[in-house]
Amino acid sequence: MLKSKAAIAGFCSLCCLGLSAQDCHFALRGHVTEAETNEVLAYASVLVRETGKIVSTDENGWFAIPNLCEKTSYTVEIRHIECAHFTQIVQLTENTAMEFRLLHDAVLNEVVIREKALPPPPTQAAETVAQSDLEAGKGVHLGETLKKLPGVNLLSSGATVAKPVIQGLHGNRIAIVSDGVTLQSQQWGNDHAPEIDPYASETIRVVKGADGVRYGVGAMAGAVVLEPAPLRKESGRGGWATLNGFSNGRGLAMAGSIDWRLHHNEAWAFRLQGTYKRNGNLRAPDYWLGNTGTREFDFTGMAAWEREKTQHTLSISQFNQAYGVLRASHVGNLTDLRFAIASDTPRNNLNYFSYDIERPRQEVQHNTLKYKGEIRLNEVWKWVTQYNFQYNRRQEFDRGRGSVIEGDRPQVSFRLWSNTLDAGLEHRPIRHWQGAVGVQLLQQLNYVSRGGYIPDYLSFGGSVWAIERWRRFPHPWEFEAGIRYDYRWSHATTSGNGNNNLDEVVQFGNVSGTIGAIYRILPELVLRGNTGFAWRPPHVNELFARGVHHGAGAYEQGNPDLQTEKAWNTNFSLDWQSKHGHAGLSLFRNAVQDFIYLNQPRDSVVLTVRGPFPAYFHQQADAVLQGMDLNVSLRTLGRVYVEARASTLFALRKTNDSDGKNRDWLPLMPGDRYQYGLRWLIQDHSAPTFIRLLATTAIRQWRIPAEGLTKAAPETFTVLGLEAAHSFRWGKRRIEAGLNVQNLGNRRYREYLDLFRFYADMPGVNVALRVKAVF
Amino acid sequence: MIHTSSSLRLLLAMALTVGFFNTGCDKHNHTEGEVITRVTVHLTGIGNSFNQEFEAKDDDGDGTFNSIDPISLPAGSAFMCRLHLYDDTKTPVEDISEEVAAESNEHLFVYAVSNATMVIGNLNTDGNGAPFGLESIWTTALASTGSVKITLYHEPTNKNSTTDPGGEVDVEVSFPVTIQ
Repeated sequence: MLKSKAAIAGFCSLCCLGLSAQDCHFALRGHVTEAETNEVLAYASVLVRETGKIVSTDENGWFAIPNLCEKTSYTVEIRHIECAHFTQIVQLTENTAMEFRLLHDAVLNEVVIREKALPPPPTQAAETVAQSDLEAGKGVHLGETLKKLPGVNLLSSGATVAKPVIQGLHGNRIAIVSDGVTLQSQQWGNDHAPEIDPYASETIRVVKGADGVRYGVGAMAGAVVLEPAPLRKESGRGGWATLNGFSNGRGLAMAGSIDWRLHHNEAWAFRLQGTYKRNGNLRAPDYWLGNTGTREFDFTGMAAWEREKTQHTLSISQFNQAYGVLRASHVGNLTDLRFAIASDTPRNNLNYFSYDIERPRQEVQHNTLKYKGEIRLNEVWKWVTQYNFQYNRRQEFDRGRGSVIEGDRPQVSFRLWSNTLDAGLEHRPIRHWQGAVGVQLLQQLNYVSRGGYIPDYLSFGGSVWAIERWRRFPHPWEFEAGIRYDYRWSHATTSGNGNNNLDEVVQFGNVSGTIGAIYRILPELVLRGNTGFAWRPPHVNELFARGVHHGAGAYEQGNPDLQTEKAWNTNFSLDWQSKHGHAGLSLFRNAVQDFIYLNQPRDSVVLTVRGPFPAYFHQQADAVLQGMDLNVSLRTLGRVYVEARASTLFALRKTNDSDGKNRDWLPLMPGDRYQYGLRWLIQDHSAPTFIRLLATTAIRQWRIPAEGLTKAAPETFTVLGLEAAHSFRWGKRRIEAGLNVQNLGNRRYREYLDLFRFYADMPGVNVALRVKAVF
Repeated sequence: MIHTSSSLRLLLAMALTVGFFNTGCDKHNHTEGEVITRVTVHLTGIGNSFNQEFEAKDDDGDGTFNSIDPISLPAGSAFMCRLHLYDDTKTPVEDISEEVAAESNEHLFVYAVSNATMVIGNLNTDGNGAPFGLESIWTTALASTGSVKITLYHEPTNKNSTTDPGGEVDVEVSFPVTIQ
């Protein structure tokens, strides 16, 4: 309280000094949360004492106060039913969005507000995973948390391995960014899931559209952006612990996190977080899925030293996972594959329950070390340095004769070291423009064992970028423009596998750009438009692969003459949000020049030592992917919401086939998908009490190439899911409990984007229970 | 400025650590990949002096056979056949057939003759008396041409089937055959 009076005095002297040049068209936009629990505070009243303006936060805790003056200190008072009132001094230099975190101080019996500037929202279509979906999916894997978002699909290998697919593209065409670090691993492999522990994140957002300027080469179709909870701002300790149980696979997931800030030296804050997961063989409605167990152990450690003008953060994390590969998916040659496709039940299946993870299995370890330093140079400029080191090790254990499996050594191993250094200058708004410029340096070293199917390589890369945003609330328009140049140099070598004595240097360089706008038609209705240019150099597997790719059961051959892929992505989205519900529609068109895809010429087969294998060749052709995503939630009678989501995608490539066709469908693209159901909101706050019944219908994918084995697409199916969640206070702790039933009717079905669709059904009914305590 | 230099020092220390990681690793000795790069069909005449080896070879180790010897046999004769499988990428060259023989219960060789007038039978058996087939008897009749496809199944589920024994195919090779 004393502090705020002093600041008001400061405000008086300031306004006398700079009155003539003052601009009073600024706005303060803010987001109000409870600091201990990260709950958003809806319907809190926000008063600016100096102007007498009063507004209320919306359902998601947001508010906006227009017509404030620059370089002026204002006292913001926030009131909420559950608490007393709180005040905070805010000085506006320009339009800002701020996070207000309210904290109950037990000693002083008053509430402190911490505020920090929020980054502006993307101009691309974007989706944030709902908190309840996030909590329900965290115990499974990253893909599970994302699959309810329209336009996001999973490319899976059974139920345990899943890669996110954004508007039809995946792998090296999307970026996965966790705590500001772009994941560097063997993402070229369709059966390689991202090495991410969702428990380490508090929010997950999917950006749909090219974002090469922000996330570098590869972000042609978008990015999955994960952010950890902010470190504790107040001295003392806090944390959470959670326990999940799953009926299918008799699985268990445990996670916990502890945060503390030193009492005697408040600059220091720390976090330790850990996760353990285990499940045995999953069960399809009619049989066990032999060898589908997984084991996972992850941890994160963070330490931060924060002063008003300087922040240093150091974090380390490790991800360890071992998972069995469905025994029935391990086929020999084309004859075996044909037998497997013809068979209704899995061949060579281990039809019993077991926690054992046998061969074939894969083990992955991912290590990340990150340092980030932020130094505020003056009121406007901030210097940001980030360095990260990543070491990824993937081991694949195949079945084989006694001597092959002797000593439990892997048959194939991949090791990838990456060093990335980022340096940037960020500025607060200057004449309503805010933005940043920066450089990035990257080094990568990849070692592959013999038989590893891709070569070793050493890469160096560099980039320069700049991005600027204009906004002047309550002006309805907001603009963004950015540009980036990336360069990559790679030296690929190999000895011993299909590419005997390969020794080649390749280099690629190109520009990325983005232009976007946001138009607020009404306070509840926002239109976004973005057009972006992004590119990606061909990956070494696309250039130099040669041999049988056992994970895919196919012979694959690279093409050293491939050019870079260039994508021009345009998308528009319209979002409506009010107390009656919300709705979002996005339309997109992604024109990719020299799209690299795996082509299987008609009945092409390569005779290998193990007999005939279907042969695929990396080729390129111009392609266009366009479609629509829709998301609606409308309040009907009482507190019952009707929910619906739909996504559709048309993905075509140019051909010059002899039979006169000039276009053909691209393989492995998601089919039309609908989700619809009812949600009964019993109690409404940030961790709401609700019951939801949701059906998912996937239409049989008919937009598939005429040739190749990919033509077998599974039938249309509908599965039901039931969810419920409740949160309550137990003493000083908040407890959240949840129920999640998947495949409620125990339906038999197969997914087109599941690489194991030839061999076995998807898992049957699964009842998951979870409980989380926040303290 | 003090903060800047301390963060630089931290960075330098980290770069050195990473350098240590990068150089301290050995390259290709972590895995036990074993591949079959050569299949030898050794035929010895029964009641005649025929003694010849025919090879299918994968010289560059890319998983496909670069050369397959045509098998040429006199008509109206019988031969004792013994197969050998090798991994030439190992030094010394590894004879995988010894190991396959030691695990005969889990392996099965299937022979399929097409067009040539030849019969392959008398497959040697595994520890349980079920067919194994590393050794067999080949009997030729009239002059003709065709081929013989030899398939090695690992962990077959039905050793008495010659069309679908189950398990996985470890080797499949088709030798051209001329009987004269």
